Amino acid sequence: MSTLSESLKKYIGMQSETEVACDTVERGAVRRYAQAIMYEDPIFDQTCENNARFGGPVAPPLFPTHMFRRAFGQPDPIQDNATNPDFDGIVAATSSQGLPAIEPLAGYALLNGGSEIEFFRYARHGESIKLTSRYADITEKETSKGPIVLVVTESEYRNSEGELLIRTRRTQIRRK
Amino acid sequence: MALGKTPYFEDVDIGAEIPGLEKGPLTTAHLMRWSAAMENWHKIHYDKPFTMEHDKLPGLLINGSLKQQFVMQLLADWAGPQGWAWKASFQFRAMNLVEETVRVWGRVTEKRAGPDFGLIDIELGIVNDAGKESTPGTAIVALPFKNGKVLPYPFVPPKF
Repeated sequence: MSTLSESLKKYIGMQSETEVACDTVERGAVRRYAQAIMYEDPIFDQTCENNARFGGPVAPPLFPTHMFRRAFGQPDPIQDNATNPDFDGIVAATSSQGLPAIEPLAGYALLNGGSEIEFFRYARHGESIKLTSRYADITEKETSKGPIVLVVTESEYRNSEGELLIRTRRTQIRRK
Repeated sequence: MALGKTPYFEDVDIGAEIPGLEKGPLTTAHLMRWSAAMENWHKIHYDKPFTMEHDKLPGLLINGSLKQQFVMQLLADWAGPQGWAWKASFQFRAMNLVEETVRVWGRVTEKRAGPDFGLIDIELGIVNDAGKESTPGTAIVALPFKNGKVLPYPFVPPKF
């Protein structure tokens, strides 16, 4: 086993604290999101026949997975890295899903390798969403383009009543 | 836009194509709009010198997180208001570069009838203008029977 693999082992199985999204499901944020993905279904906008069984206006299916953002007063990684030529623009909320950053992979590039998604329920406008995650697996792999590290993260998104909305299993590709 | 009707389980044939979804051409403005909507500032989607010189990538990339939205839209549109896109799984095997048009496709591979509703297995993917596949995957959509019960909501995973 390589030194890197050895240093990554301690992260496997590590679980996050439950994190509550800094904002509720806001109508304006839903509008911007739906417009950005070019999916302007009326169920995301206002009460209508097609969202009656969901209890009213909802957010696009994967919206809750993008709600974990920098809260007011938290450190600003954009400004903190304004003179860092290696800063790739990734902020922790994007990359780690509430988990601590994997220190041995600092400076490694990140690519999205794929996802498995289970979808149980839409997030309704006004709901609060919480997240728990764990590093399910971290493996080093040789490829024709050099070594890469596959980081598999499992996450669950629930509303404040604890109802499960989405379960994901994501693979991130990290490489030098 | 998801305004279609939900197909009944009995009316779906194995091998049938589900209606495709085309998005694009996806410009830097599209990618910037998506980055802003989800507050992801990863430079490989808007900073070309960083992307090519620092990260050694061939050009600005269409976000995997944006492509997965398109997959979910394809499934939710087809499932319609009374169906349910339960599971989706896909791998980002190849990059899609800015200015590409992408087409999401799906095909029915299997169907399974349960006591109260049915499950449809789907293979899917995303191809670019040149026909190159970047995002192969699979999905499971639940559909009601004709004269059957309404699907449970929140969705309850079946045992079959």
